[in-house]
Amino acid sequence: MRQRGLRGGIGRVGAYGVMAVCVVTTLFPLIWMVSGALKSGQEFYSNIWGLPQDLTWANFARAWAEGGLGQKFANSIIVTAGTMAIVLPVTSLAGYALASIEFPGRRAVYVYLLLGIMVPFGVIAIPVFTVVVQLGLLNTLPGLILVYSAQSLPLGVFLMRSFFASIPRELEEAGLVDGCTLLGAFFRVVLPLAKPGLVTQLIFTGTTVWNEYFMASILLHREALQTLPLGLVTFTSKNGIEFPELFAASAIVTAPLVILYLIAQRQFIAGLSAGAVKG
Amino acid sequence: MFTLQRRRRLTAWAMCAPAVMLATGFIFYPLARGAWISLHQWDGFSAAMKWFGLRNYANVAADGIFWRALGNTLIFAIAVTVAKNVLGMFLATLLNRRLVGRGLFRTATFLPVVMSFVVVGILWSWIFNPTFGLLDSGLRMLGLDAWVQGWLSDPRIALGSVIAVDVWKWTGFHVVVLLAGLQTIPAELLEAAAIDGASKPQIFRKITLPQMMPVLSFSVLMSLTGAFVSNYDLVYVMTGGGPRHATEVALTWIMNAAFQNHAVGKANAMSIILFVCVAAAGALQLRVMMARSGGR
Repeated sequence: MRQRGLRGGIGRVGAYGVMAVCVVTTLFPLIWMVSGALKSGQEFYSNIWGLPQDLTWANFARAWAEGGLGQKFANSIIVTAGTMAIVLPVTSLAGYALASIEFPGRRAVYVYLLLGIMVPFGVIAIPVFTVVVQLGLLNTLPGLILVYSAQSLPLGVFLMRSFFASIPRELEEAGLVDGCTLLGAFFRVVLPLAKPGLVTQLIFTGTTVWNEYFMASILLHREALQTLPLGLVTFTSKNGIEFPELFAASAIVTAPLVILYLIAQRQFIAGLSAGAVKG
Repeated sequence: MFTLQRRRRLTAWAMCAPAVMLATGFIFYPLARGAWISLHQWDGFSAAMKWFGLRNYANVAADGIFWRALGNTLIFAIAVTVAKNVLGMFLATLLNRRLVGRGLFRTATFLPVVMSFVVVGILWSWIFNPTFGLLDSGLRMLGLDAWVQGWLSDPRIALGSVIAVDVWKWTGFHVVVLLAGLQTIPAELLEAAAIDGASKPQIFRKITLPQMMPVLSFSVLMSLTGAFVSNYDLVYVMTGGGPRHATEVALTWIMNAAFQNHAVGKANAMSIILFVCVAAAGALQLRVMMARSGGR
């Protein structure tokens, strides 16, 4: 008994040690990003490990102005909100039909939509570019929104279908008996119950779209249309840009999501790992 | 009764239609179109494509850099999958007990997941910078000059450096997922085994691992399929595929062919080859997902 207690104690100490190492490894680079953003150009190269001596807040103002970050924030918000406005209704409708209505071709439609998971955007980026050009949507935010919507679709349908499937059938039937139409029952009874599914998608798809660089770099070639990740890459190649300003810009780009994450941590962790634990 | 059934059916089809259209227009049609373009010689803008048969594929097969890029992609995918899941499983097992500060740990290690790859790439490019980066200057301060490396400029270790960054970004995610899985194992099961005199490694092998199989297989498949195609941002920002193609991955080389060399037919042929590689892992992931959702 005593021996076991001792071994448990060593395990506990080890666990705390490993935990501390992990926390430091994760947070360290982030702290240095903020610290570097506050250093003057000279200090950045001479005082590498130290904290900033005079806080050069001007780096943030310069990054904001030189990087045109206001415009890019607006673009990122439009693209993220636009994608949500398409993905949430489209996946809810399809997910509900696939979960609760018997109709011929149901399984075929479900498999077809899920097969999209096997086609990551990396491998169809070039033909997608061609299609977007054909539609006249190159260098437009709606073009990017449609592409992002399609990208988020398969997992969204999968998530929504499993949420709807977990809602007791009696509830919908009660709605139908009360005289609702199928769509009426959907909006009044079922959709409110599927709110956790919508929140999951909001977080998962929202984070992915907000941070997306690859497709945006292919579909948007005008600086005025750039989203934040694109803008940041453009910023790195601008003349006369020094590391402190680049770090300030990175911190500005990172801040909104990190703040949201810290506020709604539980939902973020549940939402982002939903694909793996749920289903 | 018949009309009611018909109305239900029509409603169901109407509800699925937008999703089907979106998937067709921006996933399956482009895939088919890409396969078609891969059989042509095309610069991407001119109206006419020239029939080229399988010659694009022959050119790709003869392109040594493509094979190197595909090899790097494979190394990247396998290395990050193994590292994230082994590390994740180790940390999750270690933390699956009452510990003060586990909440803080979760918050901190999950944080990189919400960060953009572009920011992560910029941050680590600086950390790895040989003259004023955090890592090498730290090593010099500690008197470990022999360990100082050109982390991103030495072709022998550059790929490893990029892999390490990807592992840094995602390990916290896998710890959280696997920890959630561990907590669903009934405590009685573990206690019963302990009472029957099973040793810790035995319990891990005979109970924990089998019970974790669904979550673990999903965690593995997610990192694997993701790793084949989500490495573009990191490589592009950190090394641009260099030095001397040491970190070239399939996607960076494909983009180079399409947008620098305007060899769109060849770029599509490479994409189709990459798709075939990814599809196997994707199909496996799909089967697991369908099985777990009771795939009606």
